Amino acid sequence: MALLTFVCFRLGVRAGIAALLYLAVVVLLSGTDAFIPSVIVSVIAVLCLDYFFIPPIFSLELNNPLDLVALVAFLGTASLITYQMSQRKQAEEALQKLADELELKVQERTAELAKANDELRGEIAERQRAEEALQKAQVELAHVTRVMTLGELTSSIAHEVNQPLAAVVTNGQAALRWLALETPRLDEVRAAVERVVRDGNRASEVIQRIRALAKKNPTLMVSLDINDVIREAILLVQREVSSRGALLRTELASALPAVLGDRIQLQQVVVNLVINGVDAMASITDRPREILIQSQPHETHEVMVAVRDSGIGLDAESADRLFNAFFTTKASGMGMGLSISRSIIMAHGGRLWASPNADHGAAFQFTVPIDGGAAS
Amino acid sequence: MKQPDSIVYVVDDDSSVREAIKSLIRSVGLRVETFGTAQEFLKSARPDAPGCVVLDVRLPGLSGLDLQRELAANGSNLPVIFITGHGDIPMSVRAMKAGALEFLTKPFRDQDLLDAIQQALERDRGARQQRSETAGLRERFDSLTAREREVMGLVVSGLLNKQIAGELGTSEVTIKIHRSQVMKKMSAGSLAELVRMTEKLGIPAAKDQPTHTKS
Repeated sequence: MALLTFVCFRLGVRAGIAALLYLAVVVLLSGTDAFIPSVIVSVIAVLCLDYFFIPPIFSLELNNPLDLVALVAFLGTASLITYQMSQRKQAEEALQKLADELELKVQERTAELAKANDELRGEIAERQRAEEALQKAQVELAHVTRVMTLGELTSSIAHEVNQPLAAVVTNGQAALRWLALETPRLDEVRAAVERVVRDGNRASEVIQRIRALAKKNPTLMVSLDINDVIREAILLVQREVSSRGALLRTELASALPAVLGDRIQLQQVVVNLVINGVDAMASITDRPREILIQSQPHETHEVMVAVRDSGIGLDAESADRLFNAFFTTKASGMGMGLSISRSIIMAHGGRLWASPNADHGAAFQFTVPIDGGAAS
Repeated sequence: MKQPDSIVYVVDDDSSVREAIKSLIRSVGLRVETFGTAQEFLKSARPDAPGCVVLDVRLPGLSGLDLQRELAANGSNLPVIFITGHGDIPMSVRAMKAGALEFLTKPFRDQDLLDAIQQALERDRGARQQRSETAGLRERFDSLTAREREVMGLVVSGLLNKQIAGELGTSEVTIKIHRSQVMKKMSAGSLAELVRMTEKLGIPAAKDQPTHTKS
């Protein structure tokens, strides 16, 4: 300020120019957020102008009333600028504050959202874990009931293995006798030995099936021919069915689309339903005991399997609770068969239900979605 | 061991077992017919020849024991040999009580089955011979006149010709003629043989007759 005054004075600048320069200083000052200094500079500038530039120089006296007007105008202008600048400053600050607050709020909300998101993610993970645990438990339960079913079938399965073995022994003995003839009948020997091979394989196949059922495997969804599943299941229950005086028939639709499922679990369902049907016919004496297994396409995207019996049928009360765990009308058995069968079918995306047959007995039907990838 | 005239019927629902047993029995020169169910066997037309049945106890539908009962009810005397996959004692007891000849558990010794079959065939052959003898006797008996039958009844009761003549109010000569006619028609060589024949036919001797003769 002093420097400016000195330089201006030395150069003999006119009061008007000096006033403009002072005004520039005031503008600069007020622009840099200095309200008080700007006011003080304004006052000092008035005094300096009066003292150094307005005649009489070196005196604060004012001879010309116009000079007074000019000074007042200068002060007014300076004050106005200072005021305006400070106003703008304040507005800017307020705006800045608002912007800051907004920023803060946004940050807060974002944090809240992130937290909620985390919580949701946690819940989803929790649910997934629960679902996985449930699925694991179901797989284990399926396995346990499978082993129990195998236990119930022990005698008939043993028979199922013994039968081909007995045939093997007898064929062997027959072959020896054909060989021991005066002129050995090699054609008969060959036929007998071929039967030995076939029946030996049959026995081994039964054992493989049992082993597969007894194993605890994680669910393995693959493309399957449901008729194969049915035939494999029949291999295990055929003996049980006939030893209880019942006939087992099949009506399997040919060229069914492949379904997506777990081979062992679907086998288990068929086994359960057949045994269930045989049990329902235990007290029937006035008509043939017959199990009929049917397969057919259902809607456009499913395959349906029906297991029909000629047993005692369903009463309304039982029908409701049929699929509940531990519900049973039998003296033996845990009442898990139908319940586990239904959960297996549901896990496959299908349905399992029971309905009475037109004449006698009940039909248990289930659907399994066809394998979309294979169907095309 | 060749008896081409006898037939072994094998009833087993398991085709493997059926084929194996068939081959075994054929290897000793016997004729074999196989059936998968009891009903199939009952429906089949069986030739009139000595035979026996090798029968699985547990069959779908009609069981082996049911079939055994059915055969007996139909008057068929085919001997039955049971085979079973289950070592089921109560069942074997029932089967034996119902007249089964043997009860074998699979897998069995081939000789056991073949022995049982031989025994069964011999038994059936014997029974058939007896039946045909009885049938022949019956035929001969049927050729007798009413009077001749009367005379025969009194003869086998041990009455003398004279007593019979008195009984029937006729001459001894007439009785003699009737008597020789009876012996001829029945082709009996002696009185003892005639007595055995009437026993076989189940004709009661007219024993009470001599007690109230007209003196």
